[in-house]
Amino acid sequence: MRSVRTAHAVITGLGTAVRGLPGPEGLLGPLPADHRRAGDPVSRLTGRGLRYKDRATKLAMVAARDALSAAGLTDEAGGLTVPGESVGVSASTNYGNVDTVCETVRTIAESTYLATSPMMLPATSSNVVASWIAITHGLRGANLTLCNGPTSGLDAVNWARLLIASGRVERMLVVGAEPDNPAVRHVADMPDLAPDGTSGAPDLFDGAVALVVESPESAEARGVRPLAAVGAYARRGGHADAVAKVRALHTGRVGLWCVPEHPEGVCAPAPALGAAAGSVPVHDLSALHGAASGALGVLQCAAAAVWLDGRGGAGDDVVLVSAGIGDVGGDDASAALILTTPDAVVPRLAGSTR
Amino acid sequence: MNREVEAVVTGVGAVTCHGGGADTLWRAMTAAGSRLPDRPADPLARMDLPLISLVPDPDLTAERATRFASLAAAEALADARLDATSLAAARTAVVIGSCMGEPGSNERGRGGESWLPPFRLAAALAGELGLFATVHDVANACAAGAYALGIAADLVRAGEAEVVIAGGSDAYSRVALGCFNRLGAVDPERCRPFEKDRGGTVFAEGAGVLVVESAAHARARGALSPDENAPEVPGRVLRLAGVAWSCDADHPTAPRSDGEQVVRAMREAVGGAAHEVGCVVPHGTGTRLNDVLESRALHRVLGERAAHVPLYSLKALLGHSGGASAALAAVAAALILRHGVVPPNVPLKEQDPECEVLLPQGAAVPLPATARRVLVNAYGFGGNNASLVLAGGPGPDDGGEPW
Repeated sequence: MRSVRTAHAVITGLGTAVRGLPGPEGLLGPLPADHRRAGDPVSRLTGRGLRYKDRATKLAMVAARDALSAAGLTDEAGGLTVPGESVGVSASTNYGNVDTVCETVRTIAESTYLATSPMMLPATSSNVVASWIAITHGLRGANLTLCNGPTSGLDAVNWARLLIASGRVERMLVVGAEPDNPAVRHVADMPDLAPDGTSGAPDLFDGAVALVVESPESAEARGVRPLAAVGAYARRGGHADAVAKVRALHTGRVGLWCVPEHPEGVCAPAPALGAAAGSVPVHDLSALHGAASGALGVLQCAAAAVWLDGRGGAGDDVVLVSAGIGDVGGDDASAALILTTPDAVVPRLAGSTR
Repeated sequence: MNREVEAVVTGVGAVTCHGGGADTLWRAMTAAGSRLPDRPADPLARMDLPLISLVPDPDLTAERATRFASLAAAEALADARLDATSLAAARTAVVIGSCMGEPGSNERGRGGESWLPPFRLAAALAGELGLFATVHDVANACAAGAYALGIAADLVRAGEAEVVIAGGSDAYSRVALGCFNRLGAVDPERCRPFEKDRGGTVFAEGAGVLVVESAAHARARGALSPDENAPEVPGRVLRLAGVAWSCDADHPTAPRSDGEQVVRAMREAVGGAAHEVGCVVPHGTGTRLNDVLESRALHRVLGERAAHVPLYSLKALLGHSGGASAALAAVAAALILRHGVVPPNVPLKEQDPECEVLLPQGAAVPLPATARRVLVNAYGFGGNNASLVLAGGPGPDDGGEPW
């Protein structure tokens, strides 16, 4: 058992299911102009039983499959290259199965419970996304589902690191998924889905992003090159407090800042940004991809890993990501996380949520 | 993570179909009477067996799961002798598991501005207590309460929290009940785990909340000292000795028939102390396969002792309270350890011979001084398995402080 003070985790694989993007490389840029006419990422799934899985599950399955493959945890035939017990899943979604739940409510009201399909019933369980991913790939480690509001994605990434540090698993697949469908638009009080011909960025994220997080020792033993390291994390009532905390734990220069959804009025305290204050490139991924809710934190971390990996080890700038605007906007909390190049020294974790 | 950091349980709170309060729960446990389920006053509960054991709180339109969690947490904090000032001074986290969250806004079919995400129990409780740092809503189906307690232990051991208010809460959900009707998994009579002719489970409402604390923090505030107010109850403070999780990765609703992952989680939670397990509060839902598999798994984990370790079948008394069930089982385990006895089980008509487990009935069984550990199991859809072990603290003759 390693002391948590020296425990850290690296990201070794990414996967995306975003219409118009062939992979994670494009996450930081605008979607292509014709993204609405691009193929549905879910169409990449084949096999039996798909009609009985909800959209969030299918999107998550696409991203998960790519991330496991990219990390070398699955072979060409799709089989796991490590024991199933060593891999866990942490899933983050806020709207996840609301379509199945609302449909079940309607069916029972209109036609009694006998009209519901037993095949769809598993999807009424809130952990269905994490469950199907585990079943699909035989992942028998800790299987966690967080529905934690706007911070949920970053919380899921942090939990992956903690579960590795605790010795529960050697590696975690983190998935953030949110579907865009009429049920989500109904409960979220959003206008109807724009027709395919409409241009511009989507207003709701319809996709999934997955990361493989593991200990540096695990990555080294498998001969896999890490893309980024997961650094300090904090969750606070206020956004500025969360950012200030992670910056106190990691003072490196911020080269990229992925901001929360609805970032109006949100800013990191200038001293917390260090030498880069005022000049940090800010990326509002929800403006590029639509309001991503529980998927945002995972999306941000994937984008951060792409950015850090693309630098090829040049410079030691870190990436700051933050989700949830906290008390300035009515969210109950805000979370912040630092990501670094894999060889950077990751600060101690103990007390990092204070 | 530092496993040398001890996680202790300093307070418990419960809300069940027998009413509010852990004392009420203990009285129901010792009385061992059976309670028939209720039929909710929901005109849209269009199903053959709309059976659920409701918490005696008549307002079905209220945010019940939130209310239950709040009541149980208030009791647990009072039991732990923690007030708002001490919570604010400590690094305090809130982690609440649930199967369905607060289902009202989905199941009433209203969207728009009135809609709030169902999984907001921890957030609401944290807001009520003025705590805004580490707050987690855990959605691991019927094992969610045990996952919340595992997260609590990890937060304490990682040094990320000194106090964690952890547990589970679930209320009436038409969708959950409709689904179990559709699966043919509802017993028409009541929840009867391990009975030969059991016909499924019966849902229940409820909440269980425990205060999980680092031993260092508990010691510093004097919570590990002998309890002057309850000298008849030695060792009120208990150790959360082990929590383990596993995943079947096999079927979305059914348990994996070989029980391998269930056994793995149990063995990891028990560690090298299987011989000190003096009682088991099983998941035991009354569904046919679950009870048989869990019985067999217990034999693999406990070996020859399995036939002699008493089970306390809590769901026979309360029904199956979903994401709250493991938290309530942990509260029951704490009460068993505090009182030093395993209460009699709700009487069975005829125990299933395929479930070779000991279910004492008619009289309480003392917990041996050498076996002051209670194993709690929890299983959920998605093959989400969890086991945890609560251990008694020092008895009056043990001397010294082990923490």
